[in-house]
Amino acid sequence: MSNAEEPAFLDAQLKKARLGDRAALAVLVRAHQHSVYSLALRMLGTRELAEDLAQDVFMQLNAKIASIESSQHLAFWLRKVTSHRAIDQLRQRSRLQTAPLEEEALSLSVVDGGDPLLHRHLSNLLSQLTPPARAVVLLRYQEDLDPVDIARTLDMPINTVKSHLKRSLDMLRSNTPGTDLTQRTGDSL
Amino acid sequence: MKDLESQLRAALRPAAPREAFTKTLLAQISLTRQPRTTLRRTAWLTASLAATLLLAVGARQHVQDLRNRESGLEARRQVIEALRMTSQKLDLAYEAVKNQSASETPGA
Repeated sequence: MSNAEEPAFLDAQLKKARLGDRAALAVLVRAHQHSVYSLALRMLGTRELAEDLAQDVFMQLNAKIASIESSQHLAFWLRKVTSHRAIDQLRQRSRLQTAPLEEEALSLSVVDGGDPLLHRHLSNLLSQLTPPARAVVLLRYQEDLDPVDIARTLDMPINTVKSHLKRSLDMLRSNTPGTDLTQRTGDSL
Repeated sequence: MKDLESQLRAALRPAAPREAFTKTLLAQISLTRQPRTTLRRTAWLTASLAATLLLAVGARQHVQDLRNRESGLEARRQVIEALRMTSQKLDLAYEAVKNQSASETPGA
């Protein structure tokens, strides 16, 4: 964990930002922009929409910074606002007729080894999930949240979260050649 | 092949936005006014300080007025006392002169 990611450092920056320190707010934006932008991009599918959403979220943060109590609360707030806004946009856009993911959204993670083709395939399959199910999977595997935190973030019952996770993993597994179909989907729930 | 969940974690690793996006965003934030809550708090603080200052100045003025009034009354009392004493002395002198004139006038 780098200095800029340590909770104590981020808490100190948050205190300054709450008093109107723009430089401290910039540090917080840089610390969280990867998470917000990636969440938006994988939910919405295009870089333009993702940047618009991320910008709106951070501008809202600027207006609400006084109500943020800690760096943990900040991360929770950013995930919550980004997820809810993305789900709302997708619902308004086309009633589940989602646009295909842009090249950037598909190739976001073609770094640090792994199978690039498989990663593209999984990202593409994710875009076929319903918006709430996609948000659940992203919060679980991109943000590494447990089901309880996902339920709090999305204002969703815990059993609904588990159900989304199970069904989504089953769908991904059945559409991905070479995965172990005998693995229990509930292992990570 | 690694299990699906490991592959998902690898495929969904957070990625950085374009640097131009970050620069534009930070520029926009720096152009916005301070959050309203901070402004409101600052306005309240300023108003409270101004009210406290006014009260302090008013109270000091009031105390000063009371002191001035008291010293005015004291001066007035002293003048009246001095006049009274002068009047008594004059009465005594007048009586003395009158008595002496009466004793010096024969057949009076």
